[in-house]
Amino acid sequence: MAKPILEMKGMCKRFGSTVALDKVDLTVYPGEIRGLIGENGSGKSTISSIAAGMQKADSGEMVFKGQRWNPASMVEALEQGFGMIVQEQGTVPGISIAENIFLGGISQFAHGPFIDRKKLMAAARQVLDRVGMDSVDPALPMGLLDMQDRKLVEIAKVIARAPDIFVVDETTTALSQIGREKIYELMREQKAADKSVLFISHDLDELLATCDTLTVLRDGKLGRSFTKDEFDPDLIRTSMIGRELQGDYYRSDTQATCRKEIALRAEHLTAGQAVQDVSLAVHKGEIVGVGGLSQCGMHDLGKILFGAIKPDAGSVTTGSGAAITSEAVAMKQGIGYVAKDRDVESLCLSASIQDNIAVAGMERYAVHDFLILGGRERKYVDQQIGELSIKCAGRDQQVSQLSGGNKQKVVFDKWIGRGSDVLILDCPTRGVDIGVKQAMYQLMVRLKGEGKSIVMISEEMPELIGMCDRLVVMKDGRVTKEFTRGPEMTDTEIIKYMI
Amino acid sequence: MKKSLSKLFALVLAVAMVASLGAMAYADDTVKIGVLVSDVSGEEALGFRAYYEDYIAANYDVTFTYTDQLEDAAAEKSAIEKFAAQGYDAILSLSSSDRVTQIETAIENELYYAVVSGMLEDEQFEQFKTSEYFVGQIGPSMDTEYEAGVAMGEYYAGQGVKNVAIYGAFIPNPMHVYRAAGLLAGLGCTYGGAAEKDAIVGQIFGDQGVDPSKIEGDIQVVAYLQGFGDTTFDELNGAISQGPDAFLSVGMATTFFADALNGAQIPYGDIDSFTSGNAANMSDGTLTYIAGKYSSSVGPIFAATLDAVNGNPIRDAEGNAISISQSYLVATDSETFDTIFNGDKGDSPIFSKDVLDAVIGEGIAYDDLVALVESN
Amino acid sequence: MDKNDKLAVSYRRRQTLITVLPFLALAGLFGALCAIVTAKGYRLDMYLKIVFNEGVVLAIVATGAVFIYTLGSFDISLGASTLFSATLGVLTYNATESLPLMLLVIFAVAVGCSLFSSVLASVFHIPVFVTTVAMMSVLSAVAAQLITTYGGALGGISIPSEVVKPLDKPLFKIIVLVVFSALCIFVFNYTKIGRRQKFLGGNPVCAQLTGISLNKYAIIAFVMAGLGVGIGAFLTLVYTPSVTTTTAGSIGMNIIVAIVFGGMPISGGARSRIYAALVGGFSYILLNNILMLLVDSNAGYGISQIISAVFFLVVVFVTGINYRTQILPR
Repeated sequence: MAKPILEMKGMCKRFGSTVALDKVDLTVYPGEIRGLIGENGSGKSTISSIAAGMQKADSGEMVFKGQRWNPASMVEALEQGFGMIVQEQGTVPGISIAENIFLGGISQFAHGPFIDRKKLMAAARQVLDRVGMDSVDPALPMGLLDMQDRKLVEIAKVIARAPDIFVVDETTTALSQIGREKIYELMREQKAADKSVLFISHDLDELLATCDTLTVLRDGKLGRSFTKDEFDPDLIRTSMIGRELQGDYYRSDTQATCRKEIALRAEHLTAGQAVQDVSLAVHKGEIVGVGGLSQCGMHDLGKILFGAIKPDAGSVTTGSGAAITSEAVAMKQGIGYVAKDRDVESLCLSASIQDNIAVAGMERYAVHDFLILGGRERKYVDQQIGELSIKCAGRDQQVSQLSGGNKQKVVFDKWIGRGSDVLILDCPTRGVDIGVKQAMYQLMVRLKGEGKSIVMISEEMPELIGMCDRLVVMKDGRVTKEFTRGPEMTDTEIIKYMI
Repeated sequence: MKKSLSKLFALVLAVAMVASLGAMAYADDTVKIGVLVSDVSGEEALGFRAYYEDYIAANYDVTFTYTDQLEDAAAEKSAIEKFAAQGYDAILSLSSSDRVTQIETAIENELYYAVVSGMLEDEQFEQFKTSEYFVGQIGPSMDTEYEAGVAMGEYYAGQGVKNVAIYGAFIPNPMHVYRAAGLLAGLGCTYGGAAEKDAIVGQIFGDQGVDPSKIEGDIQVVAYLQGFGDTTFDELNGAISQGPDAFLSVGMATTFFADALNGAQIPYGDIDSFTSGNAANMSDGTLTYIAGKYSSSVGPIFAATLDAVNGNPIRDAEGNAISISQSYLVATDSETFDTIFNGDKGDSPIFSKDVLDAVIGEGIAYDDLVALVESN
Repeated sequence: MDKNDKLAVSYRRRQTLITVLPFLALAGLFGALCAIVTAKGYRLDMYLKIVFNEGVVLAIVATGAVFIYTLGSFDISLGASTLFSATLGVLTYNATESLPLMLLVIFAVAVGCSLFSSVLASVFHIPVFVTTVAMMSVLSAVAAQLITTYGGALGGISIPSEVVKPLDKPLFKIIVLVVFSALCIFVFNYTKIGRRQKFLGGNPVCAQLTGISLNKYAIIAFVMAGLGVGIGAFLTLVYTPSVTTTTAGSIGMNIIVAIVFGGMPISGGARSRIYAALVGGFSYILLNNILMLLVDSNAGYGISQIISAVFFLVVVFVTGINYRTQILPR
């Protein structure tokens, strides 16, 4: 067997009260695509970010390309051939795409004190083509790009340095199918060049399809490793959560059910190019899915339904006829909104779990709808934390310290706690591990049973098929098809109307 | 973090202890005087300070403690209160944000108080003149300021200038208003038709500046500027481009504009002070007239304050606080300048110990002090 | 107790320490001042009164300003509005000889200036601090114009000192401080307003998507700050019944220092504390006085300012370390 390109031994790392890594060993060989899987907080991002110079381990040894490895920063690591495409935003909005791609290495285009912009743009062009952004001008400011394109630029940034190994950390969750295909292709190219990839993902299917070996991490400890011939989804899942999944994953029923009363109605909504003449009715006790490619307008639709974007034309009303004109009005009418971009739009990361949950539910515990008393507030929050079993050190813990799944539980608590009758969920399981995903699905079923209405916007077809009573498919801002739960709601059928 | 914080406290306390041991070495009979200052870097202020700290403190059993730069009335008041808490005997004030509050605070805290620079308004003086803790004031009165302006105007008129540029400094600062009024009168000009002191002064206050269109006379005022800000140098260049025979300033021009005026070869006059910078401006530059204070001009008010602290207050015939007008010295050539400047240096100031001793001690008459001030 | 419980306890302890640290610092500085003043043989009673007088205006204005800082914004014009409202208050008294009218004008002007900044910002959709920078210039210029016009020969304007002199007593100021602080603590900690403002400061995008209107809460914040400015302006006149162009000049910057010394991040958000201004304001004044007592003024002007600036940076660094280690990458 060839000599390993990366060896990590006895890696330990703590964050405050959380043990992120507990004596973890990891070895990666040249020409290998190594998958890392585990629940949120299992330590997979921590170990890869330590190797990539993003943070320091408390203890442990690393060897990279036969040398002791202890990079001072991500820039230094990348210079030495260790690249990482980070999970959260890693680009600088104020400068051009090209400058972002060559951030830290811009001096290679320098002529004395000046930068040869032509050369820089040409080089950027070449890299952008490789990640499938052939229609994007590298001179544009980064801030103009959406989340998916920003992610692609991040990938380009790493690819541009031709690293010996690169880490793909949850990157695919932000990408559409086309973007994902592109990144799989890049990984295969890397492998073909006898270089390596560390691939972190929650999506077991894509890991199984792409990786040569798969290592499971659980609670900061090393779990079992699987070689390609040992790949068995059930076994891997069990290994991840340390127990067998109890109960159903998606809904068990196969028929669409809902009550007669309409909870939310959208009529002829149009907003710029993003949403074109969309009408929609959501009944009580109904889960309505909205699917499509990332750019199809469904995310904007979610915001319009919540009053966060004012449509150019059309209206959103509740079953009782109240018009939704702003977020505050929507909340008053019992509508809740879980945004796609959780860390930016759904949570205040620097605040505690309590602050995040309590802020939306004041009407529930404020005396005379004004006075906040600590005891009542704490009781309310504790109740919500218990409701969804959030794993935390206490209600005072800062939300930023929680894993993705537990963060999402906080967001759900925020809206469920206040008794929302209609929930607009935009990618509710993005970056969430299987265990929490299942809990979310079970919660949705329960809410449906209680007569609550759910609009579930998602880029993941299996969960749309698994959960919805009705599925609205969008393309280029328009509704192209509506499916009702049943045998004909299959991914091959749906995809026809998406692309 | 806790450790480092306690270390910090320990350090603060340790330093405090060491400092306090040092403080205990002070002898009790030394007269302690606190000096209020709002200008800590001007050449004139530094001159006063050097005179007090280096000369007076070396020749009398007295210590001077200067405040940091006092920004406003509240800072002045709390500085006086701190001097009181520290057992000081007297306050000398070079700061003028709120004289009334300063004096009230000093009186409340039983500290002797004297005005070192500038003069109080008449009504303010009336208010406090009977207080035993108010020593009084020695300095240029508003009349003196007006006369200083007149003298400068007359000098240049006598030199035969035909057109001048005027810098009004910080009008509506009263001192500058009076000087400007005097300057116009000295040049033989009327302002808004008026030629009398009170009428000109009143109009300048009303206009918040000098309006060149209201000036009439044989000598033309081709440019006028005041204040100091972003555009001042543009205005100055505008004034220089008019090619005036002289640039006449009622204050601060030697600080702000000396280089520009020397460079443009335009003769200029100012009411400022006798400093080394001005010695150079006069010998090597184009400064042709300077009326000013000299460092030891603050000697007599110190003497009066020391007398008061020592229980020998000098009061006027009615038993009121002193109020003596001190005029400026004038130099129009390097020789005169050097005589004044060198005569007031280091170990041999104009108001030397020998001179001041004449008014320090028991039974000094008010007129003796007046005579002393007017003799120099 | 298992390992995780122990870690949770140590986490809690550290949180508690972070909370009490500013109070410890205040107590330490207070103790140090008392020790130094006593050791030097100065009058402690007078010193404490002086420190209180120096700190009370800063503490009150800064406490009101916490509402603005919580939003992650800041108002650089607070010193200028203190000057401006005091100026108009003095002119009002001199024109009418009515103390209630003077008070009314001071508060109306203070709150009015504050409101104007925030409304201007919301109408033109520009960051509030940008409008406050403009307001600072305008207010100090107008105040300076009024002071020099009406103050003329005196270089400042004033009301007769006997008008407010009876109020220049520690007890009166303590009552004012306690009442205003209690009001702010109530609004900040016990009403929906404070919670929502903290949330807005932490993440305005998320707050908006939780139905919280930035404009509405910015206006409330500025009104609270305006009240603080009004009280500050009045107490300034109580201490010295005159207004010059430099009155309250240093307040704007000192507020930032006070808030940081009180353990609150200038960026606002969840870790905003209403007591930060109170604790920090007095800590800062104590520190300044300690330095002035220890550093020989003849050693050179500004030495004590340099030391307190270094101290400021140390505080920011220490609170920063704490903040950084709390953040888990995911």
